[in-house]
Amino acid sequence: MSREDAGRARPASAPRDGAELIGRTVDLLAQRAPSILADAARELGLERLVLRFTDGSRALLQADHNALRVHPCGGEEPTVECLLSDASLRRLFDLERRPAELLSAAEFDTRGPTEAVLACWRTFQILAQRAAGLRVIQAVWTDYSRRIPQPPEAAAPEHAPPGPYRPYPDAAALLRDTEESAARTASVAATRVLWDGRGGAGWWTVCGPRDADLFEVMETCQRRALEEVDRLLPRREPRAALYDLMRDYPSRGGKGLRATLCMASCGAFGGRAEDAVRTAAAVEMFHNAFLIHDDIEDESRSRRGTSCLHGEHGIPLAINAGDALHLQAVETVLSNIERLGLARTLGLIHEVIRMCRETVEGQAIELGWIRSREVPSDDDHYVHMVVKKTGWYTCISPCRLGAIAAGHTRPRDLDLLGRVFEKVGVAFQIQDDVLNLVGEESLYGKEILGDLLEGKRTLMLIHLMRSLRGRERGRVLRWLARPRGAKDLDGARRVASLLEREGSIEYGRAVAARYAAEAESLFESELGFLPESESKALLRQVVHFVNTREL
Amino acid sequence: MESIVSAQLLPPPGPFPRSPLRHPLERRWLHYAFLTRDGSRALVANIAWLGDEGRSAGRRNAILLTHQREVGWSCSQWNAAGPAEPWSSFRLASPPRLLESPPEMPDFELAATKGWPWARLRLQPTSTPGIGGCATFHGDHWQRWQAEPGVLARGFWRTRPGEPDPFEAVGYHERVRGRWGWPEMGGWVFGFCNHAPEGLGEGRPPEWSIVFALLQPGEEMPGQACVLMLWRRGRLIRFIPRRLLRVTAAGQLERDRVETLPAQMALLGTGPMAAVPAALCLDGYQGRDWVQLRFRGRAAARLVVPSETSLRPYSVHEVIGEAEAELAIGPHRVSFRSPAIVEFAGGATAGSWDVS
Repeated sequence: MSREDAGRARPASAPRDGAELIGRTVDLLAQRAPSILADAARELGLERLVLRFTDGSRALLQADHNALRVHPCGGEEPTVECLLSDASLRRLFDLERRPAELLSAAEFDTRGPTEAVLACWRTFQILAQRAAGLRVIQAVWTDYSRRIPQPPEAAAPEHAPPGPYRPYPDAAALLRDTEESAARTASVAATRVLWDGRGGAGWWTVCGPRDADLFEVMETCQRRALEEVDRLLPRREPRAALYDLMRDYPSRGGKGLRATLCMASCGAFGGRAEDAVRTAAAVEMFHNAFLIHDDIEDESRSRRGTSCLHGEHGIPLAINAGDALHLQAVETVLSNIERLGLARTLGLIHEVIRMCRETVEGQAIELGWIRSREVPSDDDHYVHMVVKKTGWYTCISPCRLGAIAAGHTRPRDLDLLGRVFEKVGVAFQIQDDVLNLVGEESLYGKEILGDLLEGKRTLMLIHLMRSLRGRERGRVLRWLARPRGAKDLDGARRVASLLEREGSIEYGRAVAARYAAEAESLFESELGFLPESESKALLRQVVHFVNTREL
Repeated sequence: MESIVSAQLLPPPGPFPRSPLRHPLERRWLHYAFLTRDGSRALVANIAWLGDEGRSAGRRNAILLTHQREVGWSCSQWNAAGPAEPWSSFRLASPPRLLESPPEMPDFELAATKGWPWARLRLQPTSTPGIGGCATFHGDHWQRWQAEPGVLARGFWRTRPGEPDPFEAVGYHERVRGRWGWPEMGGWVFGFCNHAPEGLGEGRPPEWSIVFALLQPGEEMPGQACVLMLWRRGRLIRFIPRRLLRVTAAGQLERDRVETLPAQMALLGTGPMAAVPAALCLDGYQGRDWVQLRFRGRAAARLVVPSETSLRPYSVHEVIGEAEAELAIGPHRVSFRSPAIVEFAGGATAGSWDVS
C-alpha cells in the first residue's frame, strides 16, 4: 500500500457512534496535526479517561508519550470518567461558540478526583479549541452532528445590519464554504478585529493559525518538489545507463518531509513557498544521491518497497547515478539565481556545502564504527553521529534553506532554527530506527530488521549492548561483526527479541519522545520571533510528526 | 530661536498648500489606481516628493505598475519618468463636468526607463473629492490625505515590449501631504471600489463609489483614523466617521499570490513581511443608514519602500480583488459587486517582523 493509500484508507465511512468519533478524531490528528495531540497528552498526563456516550458506546483515552491513544474499554480501572451528551458532542467542535460556552457542566459530566477532572477538562479544551480549526476535523464532526437528533432551537436571527451592539462583520465567512479556499488553506479562518470604533491592532500584527494540516501539505510539497526534479533532470542519452537511474529513487515517492520543511520554512520567514520549490527539489536530489551511495555502503537490499538501485543495475552504474544526482543538485541550487538573485543563491550554496559536509562526516563516523566493530557505549556519541548523518540533511538544512530562500540570512536566526530542528532530526532518526524493528514493511518501505543486518549502530542497539553482560553480549557482538552476507534473518530476529526483552525499543521510543518534547519547547521559546502563520504552524506539526508517524 | 524651531515643526497652514517641503521627512504624494470594469486589468501609480526643498532639490520618486489577470504584474523601478507637473484633479475647483469651460488638462503619462510598463491616459474626474483626512502622531508627525473616486481613464498602455494596447478603466486619485518616518507611521489600509453597471459613458460618474481608510500609526488614539465615504453618481452622500465603523479581517492571502516589486527588491534579499489578509469587511452606520463592504483579495503586489530612518523597509501591498457592498441609504437598499483595490501598508515597525 502506498503512503497515499495508507493515509486515505482510514476515514472511509462515517463514525457510527461516539467512541468511533473520538477514535477517528485522534487518528486524524495523529496524521495531520500531531502537535495538538502532544499538548493534549501533556495535559492528560497519567490519567486513564473513560468516555461514555449516550449511544451506549465507550472508549478509553490515554496518553502515550507525546500522543493520545484511544482504546476499547477493557478491564483497567479508569481514573476519571466523562459522559458526553449529544449536545456536548455537537458543541465540542463548534467554531461559532466561545470556548467558555463549550464545556458546560450539565452537558459535560465528569467524575473523578479533582486533579483528574481538571486534567480531563484541559485535554478537551485543547482538542476543542485547536483541532476545531482544522478543516478535516470540522468535516468529521459536522457530518456526525448532523446525524444526532437536533433539539428545537430558537429561530435564527434575521440579517443584522450594522449598528451599535451588532456583531462584528464576519470576514472569515467570506473564506468559508468555498472550494477554492478549502483547497488553499487547511485551517478554518477566524475573524480578527482591525478596528472596533475606538482602536484596534494593525493588520500586520494579526496572528495566523496555530495549527495546520500536515498530511495534506506534505503530499502537496512532495509532489511539487518531485515535479521539479523530473523537469530538471535531463531527457537525453544515455537514458538507460544514467538518466533513468537518476529518476528511479525520486519516482519511488517518500514522505516529503524535507520538501515540506523547506517550503514551510520559506513561508514562515515571510517568503513564497514557490520560491523554495527549486531548492526543495535540489534537497530531494541530494537526498536521493546520498541514499544510492548509502545503500551500497550498507549493502542494503530494498528501498521504498522495491530493490535497491545497485541491486537492479549493479554497483558501478549506481555509484555513477549518485554522483550525477549530486552534480545536478548543485546545478539546481545555482539555477535559483534567476528567481532569487545573487545574495540568496550564494547563501543557499553555502548552506548546501555545509549540509553535504556534515552528512558525509556523519556517515564516516558510523561506517568507521562498523569497520572497527565498535559499538559506542554512550548515547551522546550516537546523537553526535546522527545529527551529522541525518539531522542536517533531513531537518536542519531544509529549514535553513527555506529561510534563506525567503531572504532571511541572519546567522543567529538560522542557528536558532537549526537548534530546534537538530532535536527533531534526532527524534526522527530514532523513530525511524524503531520502525525498522517493529514497523510494517509495506508501510515503512525498507527491509524490516535491515538495520540489524547492516550492523547499524542504533540507539536501541547501543542500549542493548549496555544492558547485556557476559556470553550473551559476546554472541551479539560476534553476530554483528559478520559481513552482511553472512548474517541470517533468524539471527536478526534473535537480536530483535533481546532488544524487546531488555526494554531497548521502549527506551528508544522514550528518548525520541523526549527529544520531540525538547524540540517543541525550543520551538516555542526560540522561534517566537516568527509571526504565527500557516507555515509556522506546519513547522510546529513536523516537530511532533516524528513521534506519531507510522511510515 | 525656540519659537522658530517650533514653527518649523508645525505643519504648513492649509490642508494641501502648494508650499515647498520644509523638512527632511516632509512628503507630498499623488496616487492613482484604475481597474477595468471586469477587474482583469489594473494600473497603479504613485509619484512622491520628499525632503527639504528649501535646502536642496528634494527627491522625486515615481513608480508605475500594471496587472493583467493572465499575465501578472509588470513594474517600473522607483524612477519612472513623467511630466514635471503630473496630472491632478485637485488643481480644479470642481469636476470638469460641473464647470462651464473646463480647463485643458495634460494627459497622465508615466513610463519605466526601459520603456515598459508605460501608460498615457486621458483622465476625467467625474466625482466630487472626498473630505480630507488628517492624522497627527508621534509628536510632530502628521499626514493629510484626500481621495476622489470615479476618475475615468482612457488611453493606451504597454505592459511589455511591443505596441501599446488600449486601456479604459475607472479608478481613484488621491493626494497626500505630511511629515513622517516609516516606523512611526505604523501602517494603513486604504481601499476603493467604483460600481459602474452601465459602463463608462462620456463623463458619467459611477453609480456608486466607496472609499475607505484606516490609518494606524500606533496605539495612541489621536493618530488612529478610520473613515468610509460613499458617493452616489459622483456626489459624496455619506461620510461615516471612525466611531461608527468597524473593520475586520480574516485569512491570509497565499504568499504565492504576492509578488515583491520592483523586482530588484527581491534580488537584493529584502526582508519578509507579514501575510496580507485574504478577506476584509467593513461596516458602518449613521442613524438608520448603514453600509457593509466585503472584500476578497485575488492578487497582490508588495511594493517595497526603502525607509529613510530605519533598516526595515516599508511595504505597500496593492491587493486586487472583488468587493461586495450592501447599502441602506434612506429609502434605498442596494447591493452590488465590483472589482476593487485595497492597499495594506506597514512593515517598518518592530511588530511587523522582528529582523533587528
